[in-house]
Amino acid sequence: MNKVFKQVLGWFIAAIFFFPIYFWITVSIKKDKDIFALPPKLFDFEVSFAAYEEVFGISRFLYVEDMGAVRPGGGDFYMMPNLVDSIIIALGSTGIAMLISILAAYSLSRLPIRGQQHFMGWILSTRMMPPVAVAIPMFFIYKNIGLMDTHLGIIIIHALMNLPLAVLLMKSFFDDIPKDIDEAALLDGATRFFVFWRLVVPLAIGGIAATAVLCFIFSWTEFIFVLMLTQTGLKTIPVVSTSFVTSTGTAWDNMAALGTAAIIPAFIFILLVQRHLVRGLTLGSVKQ
Amino acid sequence: MAAQKSYSLPSFMNSDSSLPWLLPLITMLIVFAIIPFFYNIYLSFHEFVPAKRALLFVGWDNWIRLFTDGVFWGSLKVSLYYTFMCLLIQLVLGMGIALLIDSDDPGFGIIRSILTLTLVIPPAIAGMIFLIMEDANYGLIPWLLKSVGLIGPEDTILADPTLALWGVMIVDIWQWTPFMVLILVAGLRSLPSEPFESAVIDGARPFQVFRRLTLPMLHKVIAVAILIRGIDLWRMVDYVFVLTSGGPGTATYTLSLYSWQRFTFVQWGYGATISLFSLIVILIVGNAFIHFAKVKW
Repeated sequence: MNKVFKQVLGWFIAAIFFFPIYFWITVSIKKDKDIFALPPKLFDFEVSFAAYEEVFGISRFLYVEDMGAVRPGGGDFYMMPNLVDSIIIALGSTGIAMLISILAAYSLSRLPIRGQQHFMGWILSTRMMPPVAVAIPMFFIYKNIGLMDTHLGIIIIHALMNLPLAVLLMKSFFDDIPKDIDEAALLDGATRFFVFWRLVVPLAIGGIAATAVLCFIFSWTEFIFVLMLTQTGLKTIPVVSTSFVTSTGTAWDNMAALGTAAIIPAFIFILLVQRHLVRGLTLGSVKQ
Repeated sequence: MAAQKSYSLPSFMNSDSSLPWLLPLITMLIVFAIIPFFYNIYLSFHEFVPAKRALLFVGWDNWIRLFTDGVFWGSLKVSLYYTFMCLLIQLVLGMGIALLIDSDDPGFGIIRSILTLTLVIPPAIAGMIFLIMEDANYGLIPWLLKSVGLIGPEDTILADPTLALWGVMIVDIWQWTPFMVLILVAGLRSLPSEPFESAVIDGARPFQVFRRLTLPMLHKVIAVAILIRGIDLWRMVDYVFVLTSGGPGTATYTLSLYSWQRFTFVQWGYGATISLFSLIVILIVGNAFIHFAKVKW
């Protein structure tokens, strides 16, 4: 009986946490009259994919074609370019962060370093910086060196933002691999880089994948850097989703369609690396 | 040995010196963490003067203004209240849920998977989800609160000076309580079972077991969870930006939001001063916490 009660309570809690997500998805496929209905229509509403068509340009494409033009999209709520921006930035920043962090984490795990504790403390302190405190000076630096409002600028700042996580997490994955492997290979005459690249990295591939997924997600969801360091050149999904709130009202169904499209891939990614999730969330300090 | 030779190309990386391995990281940290820090200090002694259309040296003016600015003190209070209350609620709720679902039964694995989902939602979009659910006219939450009589028929959440901050905090609690749950469950799962079994044999009550065994043994995991969550709560800006933009009035200004808002009003020096203050506070508190809670990486 106690066990059954625990199961029921557990599922009830899961339902409470899942409810806002479910509600958001239904908003994206509801018509206006059902979105604003009270009591809310949770199951018995009219399904419509018009919002998705508008956000991803399908209906707009046809409309523009009727007018004699061949250009797809162009409507107020056409979001494909922003989706592409988000993907470019998340992939680029993840690539840079992983490259730098794998090298650094290997040496932090294996090689003697003077003042290692202080260095780790410095990395952790970087993780504490409020984004606004970085973004204000970067705004002026970027203006001067021409990175303002560019993909490269956001890629670099997102890579920086993810570096503390990636370095500390990768160090914990490398620490899990016995150092005997390195030493045996070095004794046999292998070079340090060979040991790193051919022996240790392949053994840590699961950890590398998990770290990359987390970097991707944190770049994908980041808000304030993109808000402050871009003007018109690009907008990622979290920032552009605020543009649905207009003076004439809020386009809830379009906003929810974009939001749903942005969170579903993240759900799939995170479930794939769930085994390493807690370690990732705690920067490598709590192992599952 | 042919294969090995082709991998010995970057010969500078074959020594046992750690410098070449760390150089890219150190460069990035200097360019994008140290330089902004000192640039912030520089900015905090300058201000944009519209009449001259230039950033001019103003001495300690920004810092004097900071400590005499009522809105700044208000936003500091909001940041402290927000951080402390959310941390407390998420820790207590998280511990309760973690104790409940710390089990090998198959159903609980699925429950844990469902709980991970909130963590990957962009906070700005999580704010949007609650923006419609807390809408004054057709929002689900005000409607529910009204029907059980907790708020009056004309009351709103996000436009009410006392309720607005809780309207923001509920989003944080929804999105990040699972963070605490997952970390604490991982901690609970890694505990050895013998002490608990002998405690039960000795006739200890569940609360005693929790107080005397579980909590002390989870000390490190709890400390890490508090540290990371505390940092993120202190620098949170997405939710207030989306839900209230600091309103009504200045009731939900956090330090980060106020700093951003001054920045957009071309008070660059003052905005930088506020953000620098917030940065110094978290650096001191965060590192003191790491030291006293003996958190190790």
